Amino acid sequence: MTINHLELVSALVDGQLTGNELEQALGLIANDPHAREAFMRYQQASDILHGYTRSINHNMLDLTARISASLADEPVYSIATKSKSTAKLFRFPENFWKQATGLAMAASVGALAVVGVVQQQSSGVDNMPMASVVADESPATLISQSNRWTVAEPEIEDRLNNYLVDHNEYVGTSGMFSYGRVVSYGTER
Amino acid sequence: MNVDQELVQRVQAGDKKAFDLLIMKYQQRIIHVITGFVHDPVEAMDVAQEAFIKAYRALPNFRGDSAFYTWLYRIAINTSKNHLTASSRRPPMSDVDAMDATNYYDAPELKEFETPEDSLMCVQLEQAIQQAIDDLPEDTATAIKLREFEGMSYEEIAEAMDCPIGTVRSRIFRAREAIDKQVKSVTGEEE
Repeated sequence: MTINHLELVSALVDGQLTGNELEQALGLIANDPHAREAFMRYQQASDILHGYTRSINHNMLDLTARISASLADEPVYSIATKSKSTAKLFRFPENFWKQATGLAMAASVGALAVVGVVQQQSSGVDNMPMASVVADESPATLISQSNRWTVAEPEIEDRLNNYLVDHNEYVGTSGMFSYGRVVSYGTER
Repeated sequence: MNVDQELVQRVQAGDKKAFDLLIMKYQQRIIHVITGFVHDPVEAMDVAQEAFIKAYRALPNFRGDSAFYTWLYRIAINTSKNHLTASSRRPPMSDVDAMDATNYYDAPELKEFETPEDSLMCVQLEQAIQQAIDDLPEDTATAIKLREFEGMSYEEIAEAMDCPIGTVRSRIFRAREAIDKQVKSVTGEEE
């Protein structure tokens, strides 16, 4: 290791190398244990000047070997560097795609609502399948039949029936398959 | 492009060895940060290792919107907090500002966790470094101070000191050698 090499390593600690000198310094660190040790010492001197002193108690610790061993099975990346000139030409604002997606979703929901209202007005609600018939039966009967609601409390039963009715109404407007009917009527239908 | 960006791009392009240099460069600082949360040195090193591994795994998603160290610092803080939560120890109440990472200064919230031994070592190191800088020739001392305390580039230092960049580089190198010698005398690593 010459003085010039050590100076190069010191400059690498400062991040002041570019081009061939950077390549040379990186090559030195990768291949020469003395250069590596020098890098660690200079980096430590710099860290101490900035007040990073707690780890000094551990005397020149080096986690590189154990971390490298842990990373041995990790994949090697192959991300191509982006072409900056192309990126400049077609650069959208950072939030562009987020906003565009939000707008598209809002438009879809709006369109769905309009179509739904139109359909509901034309078809009416009379021909929709309703599950409210369940409410006519007593809780005791339900428990004994046990293939419909298995709840003993009328309040919960009412709430479930309401959910089912609401669900069926939405089914009427969206054309969605009525899962609620399947689970509520079971084998009786 | 700075050296960190260059190294990150190399790792992203498949040069796994480039990550070693990032570890060598930042391990002391990361352990310093982590020991603010996790006091046991062995445990702190395990957490640091975990933080670096997480960073490697997340590196394909690193776009360079912030400096690499700021990004790594956040990972280290989160890994420390998760470690404390997992081991049913409460993380510090106040949050640590990521700006502390870029400003090179320690988060004041972490100071309270220093042990008396740490504090004594810090004082001894500061005195040793001060002595080393005082003993340097004036030009050399000025160069290292402008670099380390003012964060000036070699080019700016050369302009300020009216000398070639090569001279700045060698002055900073000599200052580092002198500081390193003093540090070794405190830590007992003298050859």
